[in-house]
Amino acid sequence: MKTGVYFCNCGQNIAGKIDSQAVKESISKLHPGIHVQTVDFLCSEPGTEFLEKDLRGNGIERVVLAACSPREHENTFMKALSAAGLNPYLMQMVNIREQVAWVTENPLDATAKAIRLIAAAVQRVALHDPLQKREIDICPDALVIGAGPAGLKAALALATAGRKVTVVEKTPVIGGLPVRYEELFPNMECGPCMLEPLLGEVLHGEASGNIELLTLSEVTGVVGSYGNFTITIRQRPRYIDLKTCIGCQECIGPCPVSTKNEFDCNLSDRKAISLPFQGSLPNAPSLDPSVCLRFKGEDCAKCRDACPVEGTIHFEDAECVVERKAGAIIVAIGGDLYDCASVPNLGYGKLPDVVTAAQFERMLASNGPTGGEIRTSAGKAPASIAIIHCVGSLDKNHKEYCSGICCQYAFKFNHLVGKKLPGIKRSHFYREISSPGKEEFLLYRHAQDDPDTSFFRYRDIADLKLKTDKRKIGIRYREGAGKEKGLAVDMVILCPASVPAAGTDQLGAVLEAGRDRFGFFEELHSRTDSAQSKIKGIYIAGACQAPMDIQRSMNQGMAVAGHVLSGLVPGRKLEISPMNAVVDEERCSGCRVCVSVCPYKAISFDPVKEVARVNDVLCMGCGTCVAACPSGSIKANHFTTNEIMAEIEGILS
Amino acid sequence: MKQKDKSQKTEDRKQKTENGGQRTEDRSQMPDVRSQKTVGAPNYEPRIVGFLCNWCSYAGADKAGASQTPYPPNVSIIKVMCSGRIDPQFVLKAFAQGADGVLVLACHPGDCHYKEGNYRAGSRHALLLKLLDQFGIPADRCRFDFVSAGEGDKFIRVITDMVTTLKGLGPLKSQGGTHGNPES
Repeated sequence: MKTGVYFCNCGQNIAGKIDSQAVKESISKLHPGIHVQTVDFLCSEPGTEFLEKDLRGNGIERVVLAACSPREHENTFMKALSAAGLNPYLMQMVNIREQVAWVTENPLDATAKAIRLIAAAVQRVALHDPLQKREIDICPDALVIGAGPAGLKAALALATAGRKVTVVEKTPVIGGLPVRYEELFPNMECGPCMLEPLLGEVLHGEASGNIELLTLSEVTGVVGSYGNFTITIRQRPRYIDLKTCIGCQECIGPCPVSTKNEFDCNLSDRKAISLPFQGSLPNAPSLDPSVCLRFKGEDCAKCRDACPVEGTIHFEDAECVVERKAGAIIVAIGGDLYDCASVPNLGYGKLPDVVTAAQFERMLASNGPTGGEIRTSAGKAPASIAIIHCVGSLDKNHKEYCSGICCQYAFKFNHLVGKKLPGIKRSHFYREISSPGKEEFLLYRHAQDDPDTSFFRYRDIADLKLKTDKRKIGIRYREGAGKEKGLAVDMVILCPASVPAAGTDQLGAVLEAGRDRFGFFEELHSRTDSAQSKIKGIYIAGACQAPMDIQRSMNQGMAVAGHVLSGLVPGRKLEISPMNAVVDEERCSGCRVCVSVCPYKAISFDPVKEVARVNDVLCMGCGTCVAACPSGSIKANHFTTNEIMAEIEGILS
Repeated sequence: MKQKDKSQKTEDRKQKTENGGQRTEDRSQMPDVRSQKTVGAPNYEPRIVGFLCNWCSYAGADKAGASQTPYPPNVSIIKVMCSGRIDPQFVLKAFAQGADGVLVLACHPGDCHYKEGNYRAGSRHALLLKLLDQFGIPADRCRFDFVSAGEGDKFIRVITDMVTTLKGLGPLKSQGGTHGNPES
């Protein structure tokens, strides 16, 4: 096997410290007949051209490049090897610039160190395998879980680019939470006005033909990996045919059953067949079999009798399981609010006029339970309200993080309440105020400038005690370390921490996508890759990744669309790096230690052969499994045990 | 090229170090120089193998290079993609092959490019030290540390510190124990 050693002078950067002649002599002594060349600037165009010619001309089979850091020019030289008809992995770089010439005082020491490292590389490169990139066919389509702002933004972007998208939504409606809010911070734009154009595009726009919407559906299983997932979806029946329903709502009135409407935070009633709220999309009711009389054995068909379009209501519909193929999965299931009952001193659940921000949003909404009127449980307009910030946020006993959105909607409430009920006294109790952004300060300033608004800063939420006080709510509070004081108000709005949605863990388990210490879907990198999960091909967008507002959710929706568009291109195969782990099935004892250490779930256990199996699409080539394998049955391509051992020997011989 | 001002830069840095500056504090933590004289040959140069992860520590070593601050030439670096790849066998092999010391450098906790490889490397290292102790190799000869891609200065400090420690300890073979053959 003929090895070529190329020593780059890098002008005087290397040659000024390391004696290339002495290197040549020593290496030739260790490996008689070895081909050693000194080049001035190996990375330059003439340098790589020389390298290519010299490799060809001398029939070199293994290459050692003593030059700068491989972080600088490894790819440059790999390309030169390929151009010379050599496999690019049959090369080893020796970093004699950054790690020798530039940092060694004495030229003799520098030369000796360079010789040690080059000798090691010569020994190592002899063992290199001619690794090949693998290519696989991919499906360029995507599956989106969750039809809120983030999920729909991603779905529409992908559909507009011509990709097929399946949107899986758990509830009967799309639009997520903000479509239920009357006005949104920071510009007081109405929620439906902001979001309905997006929802309309998804349902009826030019690209809507590429979007399949599955409501009342949940993902129950996933097989395959990046580029080729097969997803199992369980779809509960709506009992109303979306294709024929005209949305006239004639069926709702005659329904004899009433129950609490969860879409109004249980503040209103709905029928067994109902629309969650006026204007909800898709514009068709759904039937709730858990309360419908017909599903309790009674012979009621009042809704069907009232329906003007025959064959639209089907009581016979049953749950079905469907399968879809996709190259990427986008998780956008949104978030939830912290359970205020976890802070019992605030009286939530016991005092009827202590409401959560979500309940208050519905109260403000003109399509909500009070038609947009602010009313206490006694049906009166309140003369004073308190808004309690940081309920469960920034609190080591609850959630340590700042949810980031609450201050802004709290000041939005402040504004809206003042507008609806002029002269109403508003008191903010807060631990911290957080309102960054170029538009977000406005509502805060508005509250600060308002003569009827006052601020009280508490140190610990446990210092707030809420009790009934003569038809009002008495708040005992303490500012900082000061004395306890009292304030009586008619209504209290709690601004709870933003938390992961119910079902996050369940879906995470199905997708094998990890959660962080707060239960949100864990991103690949919190700053540089916050829209990717650790599992290749599974992306995360919106409040399921972290507490976030609509702006960030929409941006993340676009970000994941970008990931899919750039990663999965129709007609282009997916290139898989050969630098990954390979299991020797003959040696593998099936102990599964590797399965437990892999951070990317790239290793699975083959129950038939009773061996571990690496999915090279998911493997990132870290080699943690290789070091963990007790029987030495896993090979890290390009970083094999033999290669590294040869390097150790070379350095120390 | 960079050559022209390099020597000047080096001079400046030397001055800086001699005058004290930032590094004085770290020097105070180094072993007593007097103890070095009692062990080993006067010109003894320890041989050290450093296993560095590609993303943080190796980049940190490159950052030290870019600053062109000289440090002792005793450490030969072997790059691995992740500190989690560092098989305890590699460390044993290095000692068996005659290394006086081994350095394992990883990303800081929470910074691992592969999320958790550095934690695995850290726990393997803790176990390995117990094994090395059985071979008569003291923990000072096998050091685990975190060096980020920006910490060129820390890299230099770790190397300098390790070399000073090993000069104080003297060659491994004179320590008795396994005579450099822990694999036997």
